[in-house]
Amino acid sequence: MKYLELTIGAILVYNFVLSRFLGICPFLGVSKRIGTAMGMSGAVIFVMTLASAATAAVYRNFLRFSVNGRTVDLGFLQVLLFILIIASLVQLIEIMLQKLSPKLYQALGIYLPLITTNCAVLGAATINAKENHTVLEATIFGCCSGIGFALALLLFASLRERLELANPPKAFQGTPIALVTAGILAMAFAGFAGLC
Amino acid sequence: MNLISAAAPLSVPASGAEILLWAGVVMASLGVVLGAVIGIFAKYFRVRSDARVELILELLPGANCGGCGQAGCADFAKSVVEGRNAPSKCPVSSREQKSAIARALGIEEEAGFQRRALVRCGGDLHHSAWLLNYNGVLDCASAALVSGGPKGCSYGCLGMGNCARKCPFGAIEIVDHIALVHPELCVGCGLCIAACPRHCIALVPAAATTHVYCNSPEKGIDKRKNCQVGCIGCRKCERTVPGKFTVEGNLARVNYELAPEELPTDADAVAVKCPTHALLSEQAHFRIEQNEEIR
Amino acid sequence: MMNKSSRSVLTFKGGIAPEGNGKDMSSAIPTRNAPLLERYRVLLQENAGKPPKPVVAKGDKVKKYQLIAAADGFVSANLHAPTSGEVVGIVRVPGPMGLMTEAIEIAADGEDSGDAPFAPLDWSKASPQELLARVADAGLVGMGGASFPTHVKLTIPPGKKVDTLILNGAECEPYLTADHRLLLENGEALLRGALTFGRILGVENISIGVEINKIDAIEYLSRIAADCGVRIVPLEVRYPQGSEKHLIRAIAGREVPSGGLPADAGCVVQNVGTAVALDNAVRLGIPLVERIVTVTGEVVRNPGNWRLRIGTPVIKAIELADGVLCEPGKLILGGPMMGFAQRSFEIPVAKNTSGILLLPPRVSMNYMPTECIRCGRCVQGCPMHLMPCLLATAIEGDRYDLAAQNHVMDCIECGSCAYVCPAHRPLVQHFRRAKAELRSRNRK
Repeated sequence: MKYLELTIGAILVYNFVLSRFLGICPFLGVSKRIGTAMGMSGAVIFVMTLASAATAAVYRNFLRFSVNGRTVDLGFLQVLLFILIIASLVQLIEIMLQKLSPKLYQALGIYLPLITTNCAVLGAATINAKENHTVLEATIFGCCSGIGFALALLLFASLRERLELANPPKAFQGTPIALVTAGILAMAFAGFAGLC
Repeated sequence: MNLISAAAPLSVPASGAEILLWAGVVMASLGVVLGAVIGIFAKYFRVRSDARVELILELLPGANCGGCGQAGCADFAKSVVEGRNAPSKCPVSSREQKSAIARALGIEEEAGFQRRALVRCGGDLHHSAWLLNYNGVLDCASAALVSGGPKGCSYGCLGMGNCARKCPFGAIEIVDHIALVHPELCVGCGLCIAACPRHCIALVPAAATTHVYCNSPEKGIDKRKNCQVGCIGCRKCERTVPGKFTVEGNLARVNYELAPEELPTDADAVAVKCPTHALLSEQAHFRIEQNEEIR
Repeated sequence: MMNKSSRSVLTFKGGIAPEGNGKDMSSAIPTRNAPLLERYRVLLQENAGKPPKPVVAKGDKVKKYQLIAAADGFVSANLHAPTSGEVVGIVRVPGPMGLMTEAIEIAADGEDSGDAPFAPLDWSKASPQELLARVADAGLVGMGGASFPTHVKLTIPPGKKVDTLILNGAECEPYLTADHRLLLENGEALLRGALTFGRILGVENISIGVEINKIDAIEYLSRIAADCGVRIVPLEVRYPQGSEKHLIRAIAGREVPSGGLPADAGCVVQNVGTAVALDNAVRLGIPLVERIVTVTGEVVRNPGNWRLRIGTPVIKAIELADGVLCEPGKLILGGPMMGFAQRSFEIPVAKNTSGILLLPPRVSMNYMPTECIRCGRCVQGCPMHLMPCLLATAIEGDRYDLAAQNHVMDCIECGSCAYVCPAHRPLVQHFRRAKAELRSRNRK
């Protein structure tokens, strides 16, 4: 039951982009075309799952331990270590993507290494630490957060493709109308509140 | 080490020095492990990219206009390195840039003259007949489909701005329903040429400053019914300044194939004194179209 | 709007029913023959395909029905002299699309003499090949509007099987009554022509579709066609019933696939005027040099139907109708929905000119388009089941790829969407632009 709550919560109720407002940078930057949005979603799900698993494992085992009867609390290293792990994972995915799909690599451009500083990934890791998830729970939470991010991104990309053809007033053309639409999308997702 | 959960009450917290030690150990070991993993991946997934592509990309102006026929500057750089394209194909880069690229690749530089676009029409609202009450989309291609366009002349510029909207450098200005190309802004990428449904834009050498502003092959008498400033094919230019102008049928044109020094000058335009003001220096053309000087 | 399954009146889904169709001005007026004029300017190119090559030169004397331009290649039609006289030469006249185009000018000698150039045939005994050759020789083209050479249409590409022939007597455009008069006055020639078409194609399932606003024609034709094997099918009054694809849908119940031809649905559609012209070519041996044209519009003093020869300048046709009551707002060749507005009164009548329409200024006023409100009326009205609102938005944003994906090439430019749009958006103009753009891209 807990896993179901975790899943629905991460994807819909506490959607990372639309409820927690984390990861807005790629949300606005990569959502102009559905193709690139799908590529970015894949990358983020991959990074978030692995990052959550790795950071949870490190957090639970290497940040607080006892040796010779004395507890060593390295909690202050949390952010540093998490960023280190996330950065390495993103580097790995960059190397793999450059080899396996150069087109997607070019299309994502600067946003791919920006996943490193994406607060959504660090946010997932931090929430896992705060809620004291087990490694399995953390992995599921990370994966579902990624799926939630992908859902929001794909929905928004579809909307933006149609917005491109629309004719809003000059002051709204481009990013302004996209932000307004994002706000309305967030309001729509607020309808899930209270589900779990 | 015993694995314990947070805050076990029976243990004694470690001393500051120990914590520092363990912090260092944990960070270092994690760093080494991750570094090794990345290193292995980098070796396994290495992509062989030619460093020269990056170099060329730096040397290019980076306008991504597509004037070379490739998808963007990166694609053009790639094609030049692979030998499929010549550096001179980039219409935006200056002569110095083209030389630099050729030098970087160690290839011979192609001689080529800088070209720019010219709208071959002087028939704006005040100087040509606009016969029809056109009520439709303000787009040259759409207007040309409706009864041949609102202008009397079927070959002239309609002035609704397709070329101006297409130009990535903002070099085309629409004044009184005619398109004017500003030569100092135009780089000769050629995107406007495809946009014009009347095919009245041509690429001419940038060194040329005198042109014949007419695109219609119709007979002079028929042309005069529709436009005050069309070329009537009287051949006065051919006679006055031999060798620089050619009259084909009913339309005169400048011999753009001549060497830059031999192209017609502003003085030639004044000497010819074209009876319909179709043959003009660029400056005179601009003065008339922008200031509505009645000829 | 649903497809009526009742046996008596067939129709199709989509389309519009234009209010007040102006046909009453001329539908009861019998066709009159136009008097001989002094000059005729026969357009060389009036259709898709190559223009025929002139076979006469300046100064040549020609007889009525003589060949003056021969077809150039397969998709091209012969041209014949509408009267006897002297060839003045090749002149430039305004064409139907607004551009100057070439025409052969003939100065009439007043005698209007000329024999039938072809030997009369009996349609029931001649071979299909002979009849098909007669179609090409007589310069028959589709008289419904496109002027497509008929012999090309009757040559079915290998691999396609045709089992249904449909004759278009719908005349769905407002104001036009030329085909209506043809049905009433040339009924027997029409039936013979229909059977001749059937013989050429080897088809026995022949129908003539007529809208029920021409109930007198339906009754008359049903009477005389009683046992000759041709069915008269009443059709609901709906625009654009006269379109090929919609006649096939209504009468044969089949749909022509996207991007396909009627032959893909096993059908061939011909205009009733073409059938009568075929009968003349076969039975009397004369080529196509004249047709019934409706000269109408609120501006015209005496609207009516006239048998005009090809090459008659439009201004002369208007004089036959006793001129105009006031300054016309628009001159349209064809009907108000799909006809083309003209810039000159000198344009000559061609084989596909079904109507000369002069509209008053109050209905040809300028309108300012406003924003699309996504009301969906255009989607309801489109007979080809397209989404005009989406297509127009894509085209305005230069997204021709998106327009092509949404089947803009299937648009028949009927104008139903622009007619119902409350924002007066110039939808059909966008689509014509997109189709021209996509065609030129495909050619590259």
